[in-house]
Amino acid sequence: MEESVLSGRIWVLLDRKERLIEDIDTDQIYHNAFLHITELSQMGQYALGNLEGWKDFPEKVHSGDILVAGRNFGAGSSRQQAVDCFTALNIGLILAPSFGAIYFRNAVNSGFPVLKCAALDELVAKKALETGDKIEVNFRSGEGWDISKDISFKVEPMSAVQYDILKAEGLFNYGKKLGHE
Amino acid sequence: MIATLLSGVRNDILFTFLAMTFNKGGILGKTFSEKILGLKAGKEVQAGEVVTVSPDYILSHDNSAAIFEEFKKLGTRNVKCPQKLVIILDHVVPASSEQYALNHKIIREFVAEQKIQNFFDIFFGICHQVFSENGFALPGKLILGADSHTTSYGAFGAFAAGIGRSEVASLWATDEIWLRVPETLKIEIEGKLPSGVYAKDVILKIIGEEGADRANYRAVEFTGNAIKEFSLASRLVLANMAAEIGAKNGYFEPDEKVLQWLKERAREKFEVITSDPDAKFEAVLKYDISSLEPQVACPHTVDNIKPVSEVEGEEFHQAVIGTCTNGRFEDLEVAARVLKGKKIHPKVRVLVIPASRQEYLFALKKGILEILVSAGCVILNPGCGPCLGAHQGILAPGEVALSTANRNFRGRMGSRESKIFLASPATVAASSIEGKITDPRKFL
Repeated sequence: MEESVLSGRIWVLLDRKERLIEDIDTDQIYHNAFLHITELSQMGQYALGNLEGWKDFPEKVHSGDILVAGRNFGAGSSRQQAVDCFTALNIGLILAPSFGAIYFRNAVNSGFPVLKCAALDELVAKKALETGDKIEVNFRSGEGWDISKDISFKVEPMSAVQYDILKAEGLFNYGKKLGHE
Repeated sequence: MIATLLSGVRNDILFTFLAMTFNKGGILGKTFSEKILGLKAGKEVQAGEVVTVSPDYILSHDNSAAIFEEFKKLGTRNVKCPQKLVIILDHVVPASSEQYALNHKIIREFVAEQKIQNFFDIFFGICHQVFSENGFALPGKLILGADSHTTSYGAFGAFAAGIGRSEVASLWATDEIWLRVPETLKIEIEGKLPSGVYAKDVILKIIGEEGADRANYRAVEFTGNAIKEFSLASRLVLANMAAEIGAKNGYFEPDEKVLQWLKERAREKFEVITSDPDAKFEAVLKYDISSLEPQVACPHTVDNIKPVSEVEGEEFHQAVIGTCTNGRFEDLEVAARVLKGKKIHPKVRVLVIPASRQEYLFALKKGILEILVSAGCVILNPGCGPCLGAHQGILAPGEVALSTANRNFRGRMGSRESKIFLASPATVAASSIEGKITDPRKFL
C-alpha cells in the first residue's frame, strides 16, 4: 500500500433518522467523568460513551476502522482524551465535513489522521457511503474510493504541516526536526 | 531576572517590527492576528500561513498531571522555559477522589522539581480569573493554554488560544509551536444594553445567530460602541464564550479601562497591538443590542438559543451562579440585587461559586454573600465546581440545571439523561425564586 493511502472499514455515525450526527462535542466523545485517566491504553473503552446509540462502539470496532461523522466533530473542550480514545482503539482515520478547531489541532499534533470531506452529508444521504463499506483515501491527492460500491469521492488533501507531523509520528518529533533545519 | 531580560529583548524586536510595518505605508491592512503572529515569527505573515512561534505564557490546570505524563515520554528532563509556565489548580478543588488527589500531588512535585514560580494551588480560584488578576493576561502577548476557554484573555488585547495536552507537553520541552494565522471575523456591537439584559445575553444571541462552528479556525475581533461601555468583567464573558462559536481567539482592542486595570497588576512590560484601520476581515457581523431581551441556551448545544419569553415556565432543580464565564463580582452583585430579601424556591437548590478568592473576598466585604446565603444559596469555594460534571453538584437522571456557565452539552454536568439551560446571572437568580425559568426584568 502507498504511504499516502489509508484504507479500512467505515462506521457512519447516524442518528435515528439516518442523518450524519452533527456537533458531536467532546463531552459526547469522552465524558468528564474519566478525565482523571492519564494512561492512553485505558481511554479506548470510553470512546463515544456519551453519544446516543453509540455506547457500545468500543466493543464493536476493529483495529484500522474508519469513523465517518457530521459537521463540527469534536466541538468544545480542549481535552485530548477525545482524540486519544480513538488512538487507543487504533482507529485509522476520522472523516467529517468539519471539525472543532482545537480538536483538529489535537488530532494533527498527535499524528492521528483526520480529513475534511465537504460532500460527506450528500454521500451519506444517497447511501454512497454506508457502515461496513471498505474505503480507501489518498490524503495527499484527496482522492477517496468506496471499494465496496466502486464510488469515488473527494476529500480535502492534508496540509503540508499536517502531513509532516503525521510522518514524524507526532508533534514533538516534528519539532525536533524543525530545530535541525 | 531572566524573565525581565527576555521581555526586554522581545519588546525591542516588537518595536522594530511595528516601525517596519508602519514605514511600508502602502501595504498596511493587517489584522491583529496577522500582526502579533508576524511579530512572534519575525516576518510579515498573512492569514492562512503556518508560522512557528514561542508563546509568552503557557497555562495549564489540573490537566498538568496528564501533560506531565506526555512530557516524560518526550525524554526531555527539564522544562525549557519554566518562567513561562502558569499552573493553576481549579478543575476539581479540593480533590474529590484519590485519583484527583494523586494528580494534584504529582503536579505539586513537578512544580517543586522544575522550580515553576507561577503555581497557584487550590485556594486561588478558576484559572482564567486567577491568570487575569495576576497580570499575565496582557495586551500584545501570545498566550496558549490547555483549556478551550483560554480565549478569555482577548478581553485584554492578548492573542490567547486553547491548545491540547500534547501540544503543551511539547511546548514545555521545546518552547516552540506551529500556528496557522487565522482569518478574522469582526463582530460589531452597537446600541445600548436595555435594563435586565447583560453581556451574557449578547454573546448567547450572537452564538444563536452564527452557530457553534461559525468561527472554526478563525479569529474574532469584538468592536462597536456598545462594548466600549462594557466593564472588563463583561468583556471577559464575550471573550470567554468566543470559544463557543469555535473561535481561535476573541480579541478586544485595549482601551483606557484595560490600561487602568493593568496599572497595578501587569507582570511585565507590554505593547498594545491593534488591527490596522484598513485590515482585511473575512466578514463583518453587525449586531444592535438596543432591543435585545434576555436569552437562554437550551439543551443540548450552546447555539440552541431562545429568548427567555419562549422558555418561561420551564422547571429546573439546580441553579449555578459562577464559573469562568459569570463568577465575578458584578455577576454576584446582580444576583444579590434580584435575591435581596427574597427566598429561593423550596424545590430548587442554588449553588454560588465565586470565580476567585479575590472576587469572593470582595463580595464578602460588600455584604453580597450575606444576601445570597440569606436567600438560601449554597456558597462553594472558588473553582470550576459542577460546571464540568466532576463534583460539587452532579445531576441525576431526569434533572434539569439552569446555569451561568458556558456549555450545556448533553451529560456535561452528570447524567446524560439530564438537561442544562444557560443564561445570565440575573435570569438564573430570578428563576431561582420562581423555581422555573423567569424573565429577570420583573425583579429589577
